[in-house]
Amino acid sequence: MDIQSCVEVRNEWDIVSARQLGRNMAKELGFGNVDQARITTAISELARNIYLYAGRGKICIEPIDQLGKKGLRIIALDNGPGIREIRKVMEDGYTTSGGLGAGLPGVKRLMDEFSIESTVDVGTEISATKWLR
Amino acid sequence: MRIPILKLHEYLLITIQVEMDDQTALQFQEDLLNKIHDTGAKGVVIDLTSVDMIDSFIAKVLGDVVRMSKLMGAQVVLTGIQPAVAITLIDLGISMREVSTALDLEQGLDKLRLELEG
Amino acid sequence: MQGKLDNLIVQMINENQETLKNNWLNEVNIFKEKELAGAITTLKLSEEIDQQFFELLIKHINYHDISKDGTLDQFFDQVLHTGLPLRYLTQGLQAARRVILNLLVETESDKEKLAAVYREIDRWLDPILNRVVENSSQIWERTVSIQKTALLELSAPLIPVFQNISVMPLIGSIDTERAKLIMENLLNGVIKYRSEVVLIDITGVPVVDTMVAHHIIQAADAVRLLGSTCILVGIRPEIAQTIVSLGIDLSQFPTKSTLQKGMENALEITNQQLISNK
Repeated sequence: MDIQSCVEVRNEWDIVSARQLGRNMAKELGFGNVDQARITTAISELARNIYLYAGRGKICIEPIDQLGKKGLRIIALDNGPGIREIRKVMEDGYTTSGGLGAGLPGVKRLMDEFSIESTVDVGTEISATKWLR
Repeated sequence: MRIPILKLHEYLLITIQVEMDDQTALQFQEDLLNKIHDTGAKGVVIDLTSVDMIDSFIAKVLGDVVRMSKLMGAQVVLTGIQPAVAITLIDLGISMREVSTALDLEQGLDKLRLELEG
Repeated sequence: MQGKLDNLIVQMINENQETLKNNWLNEVNIFKEKELAGAITTLKLSEEIDQQFFELLIKHINYHDISKDGTLDQFFDQVLHTGLPLRYLTQGLQAARRVILNLLVETESDKEKLAAVYREIDRWLDPILNRVVENSSQIWERTVSIQKTALLELSAPLIPVFQNISVMPLIGSIDTERAKLIMENLLNGVIKYRSEVVLIDITGVPVVDTMVAHHIIQAADAVRLLGSTCILVGIRPEIAQTIVSLGIDLSQFPTKSTLQKGMENALEITNQQLISNK
């Protein structure tokens, strides 16, 4: 199980399958139930962003092992409109969809490492890692 | 998929036992408001003991349901939120301070009774 | 090949083993008297280790087996576990370099060849030095992480006091990692003991800055989400002062100056009373 698993996100139900995949992998890797919930929630937020803003994309999840440090990485990929103001979307409470504006800054807090790359009209790639404690 | 809503005297009881997708959550919101309208219920307990994840969308739907119900004259208590779920909500920056909570269904009902009668 | 010495040098070292050994022991002893004078108890013990150390180096010179069979690693481990400092190993290796070079300098006068010999010895010794440092830093990291876990386990128990009332006394400073653990203990305890009220006692927390306050507020918020009430107690005058002057808003949560006052409040909330039998 050291290969990447991906879920295509095209509709709301795919959000559910993405987070189920994440929960299973987190459980298998030995994450405790709080971290399982953190990982599942982060996946849900990222998958929903894809569905809401890009229409379609995919969520990939992979186990990682760096110098004996084990963890799990979530990669969210889409070819959507991109994010114009990354600094703004990372602010708490900023929303363009009428949501709580907790999404991306929330994901950053749920996970240990977070990076975002986005080009307007090309797409967005977000990568977030949780280390096994 | 629909979440069943039970009526007990002047209260409505809901135990969420399915993994909620967005559609189910929105459907639930609609069903509950209709049921409050039909029954004239004064209090609602939503039990979340078996829910293992609440993301910002579901949190928003729940918060909205509480505010909407209040507008219709029904108090809502959320019960049984699990530690892991509470921690992720806090990480997300969602503290739902305006929502009333209780440890379990029984205490939720007690709390409603106290708020409505006392 | 890395770690292997030129045959001529090896031959020379072997032929002069006794001289080298005496010179080396001298150097090591000077170092020990100067640097390790405080640790007298280990001095005696280390004479045996000195012998072993030198033998291993000679063996190593002949078989160039630095990482393969692990005898060097084992020796380093053993030395560090007996409480000798890492400096003993590094100084010992440096001394070996010096005595060997001295010997070679005496017998070799060609400058070019000498430079080659220097390089040769460095190439041989550096991997061993690296190995020593690597080994000892691994031991350190392991020790630190064990101590960290032990410390984490010690901290922040939730204690059920009366029916549906629990207390969590916090002692010592609170960093992000510990705050996470406190939160998990707190919430799991609330479920386990069905606590309707939890008193968090911060009497033992030396400094409450914005960060610590933030963690405490988060914990109280999470407790509330579960359906229980959190009362913050043990707020000393200087803590109240810092909280207000930092502009931290704790008005959302009930706070009390002492655990006793908090407990009275908690009994009230849970409809309980203490009755004196006198």
